[in-house]
Amino acid sequence: MIINLKKILDSGWTNFRRNSYLSFGATGIMALALILFLGLLTIQFLTSQVVATLQDKIDISAYFKTDATEDQVLKIKSDVSVLPEIESVVYVSRDQALSDFRARHAQDELIQESLDQLEDNPLAASLNIKTRDTSQYASIAKFLEESPLSSVIDKISFYENRGVIERVESIANGVKSWGFGAVLLLALIAMLVTFNTVRLTIYNQKQEIEIMRLVGASNWHIRGPYLTEGGLYGLFASIIALAVFYPAVYLVSDKVYSFIPSVNLFGYFLTSMSQIVLMVIGLGIALGAVSSAIAIRKHLRV
Amino acid sequence: MIKLHKVKKIYEPHDIVLDNIDLEIKPGEFVCLVGVSGAGKSTLLKMLTKEERPTSGSISVEGIDLSEIKDNDIPYLRRKIGTVYQDFKLLSKKTAYENVAFAMEVSGAGQEEIEKDAPQILGIVGLKNKLDSFPDQMSGGEKQRLAIARAMIHRPKILLADEPTGNLDLVNSYDVVELLLKINELGTTVVLATHDTNIVNRIGRRVVSMDKGRIVRDQSHNGRYVI
Repeated sequence: MIINLKKILDSGWTNFRRNSYLSFGATGIMALALILFLGLLTIQFLTSQVVATLQDKIDISAYFKTDATEDQVLKIKSDVSVLPEIESVVYVSRDQALSDFRARHAQDELIQESLDQLEDNPLAASLNIKTRDTSQYASIAKFLEESPLSSVIDKISFYENRGVIERVESIANGVKSWGFGAVLLLALIAMLVTFNTVRLTIYNQKQEIEIMRLVGASNWHIRGPYLTEGGLYGLFASIIALAVFYPAVYLVSDKVYSFIPSVNLFGYFLTSMSQIVLMVIGLGIALGAVSSAIAIRKHLRV
Repeated sequence: MIKLHKVKKIYEPHDIVLDNIDLEIKPGEFVCLVGVSGAGKSTLLKMLTKEERPTSGSISVEGIDLSEIKDNDIPYLRRKIGTVYQDFKLLSKKTAYENVAFAMEVSGAGQEEIEKDAPQILGIVGLKNKLDSFPDQMSGGEKQRLAIARAMIHRPKILLADEPTGNLDLVNSYDVVELLLKINELGTTVVLATHDTNIVNRIGRRVVSMDKGRIVRDQSHNGRYVI
């Protein structure tokens, strides 16, 4: 059995070498498909990072009328805090808001002077609320509006930010579903192209397969070398793809960093290198072997 | 040994290739299956290796009903039956030795066995000096002898030869026929499909004549090619 398996693998390797021209073509095409796949993976990673950064910046603020008491505000805060979708609620008192405002505009003398002129603090107290999911802001806004203390709420910033919040959300969803769709489509194209190339290789050896059948070779004995050959295309293609991809990411990483400082592209792919290498090699071998299996099926009919 | 009972083969819609064939071949017989092209000789031979299946009727080889053999087990049937064809069906990228070795490999023979048996059988068919020649470097007669060597490597009890002399000149044809007779003498049942009158008359054994898918004559001794 082991000797048989070794012979089958050997024979697949011999086929791979003897059909060097076709092997080169099939390997090249599979390598291109795998590089595209890795590229798409990168784009998806980048967009998800950007979206996460944006989402982190979105929150909802309730501004209170200046005559609202601190007790009323804290009551609303404690009411909101117990909701399951809430991540955090930060209370900013009127005094705190004023000092923040002053600090922010410390360089602007005109503003400082104007504030000094005022007798009363013009700024409102506010609650800055963050939810676990951006889609939940609308329900929080509604909750605040329907609160028995809603009369002390001056305005809710959600309605002003709504456009931005929803757009970020739709981008995030779009990237997720379209990215997935694109990966699927690409995998399909790669499989079709690989399948066709392998089919040509096998068609070239149609007569050999017929003869193998006539001398009593079992289907596995015929299929084995071709599966090995297909797997070898995949193995070499994934090695080529990885050899192109990692240096490319290294080169691009700095540029990405200058655009989006929160993203370390090369770092990400370096830390997950073992998974990515395994995944790409596995994908390549599976792609080649499955293509071969489908392509040879029709020649195995007895 | 080989039994066909009411075997019919119809290619849809109305092309009757074999029509109610009843035939029995005993162990050790040498049978010439004769008839013009299209009489159904090749189809009949293909039925025996399950390359073709009958539309109705039953076929058994060595007591085994072929309809009971599963697709996965067909290779085992084919290893029991040697086949030789008009167009040789040799692997052109392999040498004479490798062609024989390949047939042994697929049936799971070990390296040692291959190295011992392959040159021996090639010696028997007179190709001792051609072990490393590729089919393209051999004459028609040599190619056919190589094909016979390959067919005999499993020591099959049955050898089916479909027009083996069709591509050969007279001298080479007689060489191949002599070889088939020798194989038969050693105990192998041989079924030879041919439309070559000279060869059939020279062999002078059982002759089964076919025409339009039917057996029209079965001469059990010293048969002649008569249509």
